[in-house]
Amino acid sequence: MTKESGYRLRRTLLSALVGGIVIAIPWISSEYFVMMSIRVMFFGMLTMSLTYLAGELGAVSLMQAAFFGISGYSVALLQSRYGFPFPIPLLAGLIISVLAAGLFGLLIVRVRGIYFLMLTMVLGQLVWALASQWSSVTKGDTGIMNIYAPVVFGISTEESKTAFYFFQLIFFCGASYFLTVLKRSPFGLMLRGVRDSESRMAMLGYRVHRLRYAAFVFAALVAALGGVFFTYFTGLINPHSVSLPANVEALLAGILGGINSLLGAVVGTAILKTLDVVLSGITERYMLIMGVMFMLVIMFARQGIVGTAMKYWGKWLFPSRNGSGSGGEARRPPQEVRGR
Amino acid sequence: MSILVIMSLLNGLTLGALLFITASGLTLSFSLMRVVNLTHGAFYMAGGFIGLSVLKFSGSWLLAVLAGGVMMSALAFIEERFLLRWARGNDLIETLISLSVAIIVGDLVLVVWGGYPRTISIPEALNGTVSIPLIHTIYPVYRIFMLGLALVIIGALWVFLKKTRLGVTIRAGVDNFEMVSALGINVRRLFSFVFTLSGFLAGVSGVVGGTFLMLVVGEDWRILTLTLIVIIIGGMGSLGGTILGSLITGLIYSFSTAFIPEFSLFVLFLPVAIILSIRPRGLFGKER
Repeated sequence: MTKESGYRLRRTLLSALVGGIVIAIPWISSEYFVMMSIRVMFFGMLTMSLTYLAGELGAVSLMQAAFFGISGYSVALLQSRYGFPFPIPLLAGLIISVLAAGLFGLLIVRVRGIYFLMLTMVLGQLVWALASQWSSVTKGDTGIMNIYAPVVFGISTEESKTAFYFFQLIFFCGASYFLTVLKRSPFGLMLRGVRDSESRMAMLGYRVHRLRYAAFVFAALVAALGGVFFTYFTGLINPHSVSLPANVEALLAGILGGINSLLGAVVGTAILKTLDVVLSGITERYMLIMGVMFMLVIMFARQGIVGTAMKYWGKWLFPSRNGSGSGGEARRPPQEVRGR
Repeated sequence: MSILVIMSLLNGLTLGALLFITASGLTLSFSLMRVVNLTHGAFYMAGGFIGLSVLKFSGSWLLAVLAGGVMMSALAFIEERFLLRWARGNDLIETLISLSVAIIVGDLVLVVWGGYPRTISIPEALNGTVSIPLIHTIYPVYRIFMLGLALVIIGALWVFLKKTRLGVTIRAGVDNFEMVSALGINVRRLFSFVFTLSGFLAGVSGVVGGTFLMLVVGEDWRILTLTLIVIIIGGMGSLGGTILGSLITGLIYSFSTAFIPEFSLFVLFLPVAIILSIRPRGLFGKER
């Protein structure tokens, strides 16, 4: 057995173990834990969309929650107001969100670094304002309620949490696979080239604007998928889902978990959502605690949990990875965006 | 012209005046330090609430304005000195730190003053209405005072930036930061000063704005959004651009509030989109 295949065996075993646990969750744990896992998955997709942009494009977006909300609102409206049957609201929600990303993306590819953050924040706030003010359609701050999860292959995912869990798990795995493939594809390599030196990539003849644009739209698609399941699961959508705090929470989850890996996004979301549940019983100062955590993580722990774990235990799973370009975890500290 | 149009026009002008006072501080610190201070909206709101409390205890509106400004400049100084300086050079991290401070300040305001909308009462001397000649409309004195105050601040900033040594240094720093530090000027102190000044302007605008707009938790993000739109439209670091951007934003917001209230904020997407498509650096922004 060569050394490389030994590492591969360890990785396969670990993946199989994690996969087995994920599939077994509805049988080995309580319904409460299943519901928490569902929450972590849809918020995890929002976080993944954010960390994908931050890690691969080097740009922090403060409007991913907008795409989460646009698809959520689309599903809610198409289902409860116009009564379309199951696959249509889901697909239309994704398409509308992607179209919105396509529109906003036209502006966003024009700016970089700190301007990217500023513009995405402004556009995200405008979408929030639309959700909050356009009350004849969005029902204002109350939001749209009584949205039911669909019946899939004859099983109601509204009644059975296990069915919903697997229904969402398929899409969640699809989204994770999609982003992983994107990271490892030639497109992902080109994108990292743009992140590290845009002028060099432009000089080499790559269409950097198009690459950045595509990355933005892909990320929006994943966030939109999270929004669809959020709406199905909670049965309601209101402006809070599109708000800046929702986006900051996803950002905190991403940085906490480790911005350079998809696993980090899920780990960070899981920690934050658990904390949310624990704290909501004790205090109403969730925002304050989140703000302080955000500050501490930004200042002292930018590698994130998965980044730090990979530093210590990564050698157990991967051979020393000098200069390997494959989509991996803590290759370099995140966020090297510099203004001057 | 219908009365609604005239009123929207006047309200747009006064909102523009308020936005200018708020945005001038932000654009100054942004252009010098390359940090979008996302705490600016929180400074506005916290300054307004401090003014509210000071007015309640002292009864003096002028004192309230000063207290809001001074307290926020102190907060800005602390933020710059102990938090932002920690990450100096990495503008993204600095900006995210300012975002975390904004969240903390926003929640603390909720703890101290509660979630109900409040308004600072208009001082005796500025209360009442005047009849504006030519168009025969009555209009609150306070809002006309707002316009005057914005003009005074424009004048003061102009004199400060063009005529004083410190102002010239700041403008030089905006244009060529490396050269200024190479000339032996204490850039750290310059940053602290500009950031503190920016906090002062935000606090003052909070009290001034809280006297004719509502003060409520959530207002921080609305004002910050409007202020960032002003800067995106006008271009950073330019006094002229900030004036023009404030007027455009104020007028559009005021007209859309009157005529299409369901889209009053979202309509601002249009000027942002149009100007970014034509001039990515804003109307008066310089290519660098």
